[in-house]
Amino acid sequence: MRIEGTTETGYELIRDGRPFVIHGVGGTARLDVLAACGGNTVRTWDAETALATVDGRTLLEQAHDAGITVTVGLWLEHERHGFRYDDAARVAAQRKRVEEAVRRIKDFPALLTWGLGNEMEGPTGRGDREAVWKEVELLARRIHAIDPNHPVMTVVANVNPDKVRAIREHAPSIDILGVNAYAGAAGVGNALRRMGWTKPYCVTEYGLPGPWEVDQTDWRAPIEPTSRRKAGFYNVATTDILADTKQCLGAYAFLWGSKQEATASWFGMLLPSGEKTIAADAMAEAWTGSWPNNRAPILGDTRVPLANRRVKTATTFDVLAPYHDPEGDALRYYWEVRRESTDRREGGDAERVPEEVPKCIVRADDSGNATIRVPSAPGAYRLFVTVRDGKGSGCIDNWPFFVEL
Amino acid sequence: MISPIPLPCLWLATVAVFTAGVGLAEPLDFGDHTSATLTGKAWKALGEQRYDDALAYTGKCRELYMAEALKQQAALTDFVPAEKAHDSWALNDVGTCLFIEGQVLEKHDKPKAAATYRELATALKFCQCWDPKGWFWRPAEVAAEKVKQLQFDAKLE
Repeated sequence: MRIEGTTETGYELIRDGRPFVIHGVGGTARLDVLAACGGNTVRTWDAETALATVDGRTLLEQAHDAGITVTVGLWLEHERHGFRYDDAARVAAQRKRVEEAVRRIKDFPALLTWGLGNEMEGPTGRGDREAVWKEVELLARRIHAIDPNHPVMTVVANVNPDKVRAIREHAPSIDILGVNAYAGAAGVGNALRRMGWTKPYCVTEYGLPGPWEVDQTDWRAPIEPTSRRKAGFYNVATTDILADTKQCLGAYAFLWGSKQEATASWFGMLLPSGEKTIAADAMAEAWTGSWPNNRAPILGDTRVPLANRRVKTATTFDVLAPYHDPEGDALRYYWEVRRESTDRREGGDAERVPEEVPKCIVRADDSGNATIRVPSAPGAYRLFVTVRDGKGSGCIDNWPFFVEL
Repeated sequence: MISPIPLPCLWLATVAVFTAGVGLAEPLDFGDHTSATLTGKAWKALGEQRYDDALAYTGKCRELYMAEALKQQAALTDFVPAEKAHDSWALNDVGTCLFIEGQVLEKHDKPKAAATYRELATALKFCQCWDPKGWFWRPAEVAAEKVKQLQFDAKLE
């Protein structure tokens, strides 16, 4: 694995003697589906995930079986979590952990690049703390010494001039700058060039606008884009990012899997039960120019009168969220009401899934009609609908509402 | 008519105040007919889901100030720096109104929304809109992305 080229000629990642454009995702689920969609690589945030086994096979081995490569994350601690980059003992322990991981993993054939740290400069602020970047430099040199065959990428939360200058000055051994960017992902290349970054870059997390970037209700619940709209964000962002063929080595979309972040559905391209959604189909279209087999259901015009509204306790509403299946598969609808998340974190830290509120679904059919009785307890909630085609594809959408006396 | 007060479009792009009283009729009032007033009223109507009203305000802003906006656009070769952005008041307000118009049209007429965003992205590409969070954003750049997303959405049909 190597990088060829210059700022003037453009850069290429070379794998097995051939140019390799990163058509990637963050996450490790359903690698078979990813490969079928045209994806060629996944990214982990730590080495433990890459070495975790299922049926006795590590993720790196499973990926290799599926024809997928892996950017292996080497987790670096965050000062916002209490770590100190001027604490010699803890820094030494971290170095030992990183070096051991590199020695263990460097010869796996699925390994694509090293992802040294993820947003360890902090998701907010200038991100130019010298001690952090000097440590990244030291580790990059050690990784190169142990494994000269794989490039080292460090991953930051978006870019600003101070951060880029600090990396250029203090971490010159970094081969690739990975940038996590959401609403502004397509502009990362131009922003980096304005800030004087001349090496290759990769967009390491992107997708749709995050909960911090969208409209909110008057009780501050972020309004999640519909599944259909999300597909547009993923498709256009991927196409735009990959259009920079000179300096951009590719991109990892977030998230191939599902997780609770503001809601249970915001970033997941798969349902918690593993079905691919329309966002995955949109990625496939951007990567390959064609749709995958068995596309996901597509949301039509909705009528959800309680959406984004304050409503009276224990009232009922008729709602409609019709989906159509491109192959005409019969669809099954599952409606549920959950409390609005109160366990909100920053930087993608793990959040608790709010509990489902029982007895809110009065009736529902398989055409997208349902009658919802809102909870009797005042507070913020969301109505979710999950739709499955029974053949490996599905979709999920939600609408916030607030119950008051 | 040219706005006597070259105010910037001091309106948040992401106005979204949703209450139980949304959509209630409110008589149209063009106020002093300045581009800033019309733009402000259009944002407010959009936020309150009074979509016909929003289109009425943006339409009036277009009618009165499009010629001046095009003149201001033609005089530019790049985005003006933030401290001079207010000089392009018509460009900024009409551009913002086209963006609001696109937002409304997206709800019921996606092809027309795409056409509006395309017009904004090509004819008024140096317009800027002040976000009270502390910076100017560029409606034409967002509109260009919207055009691509609507083109993708059309493939889903």
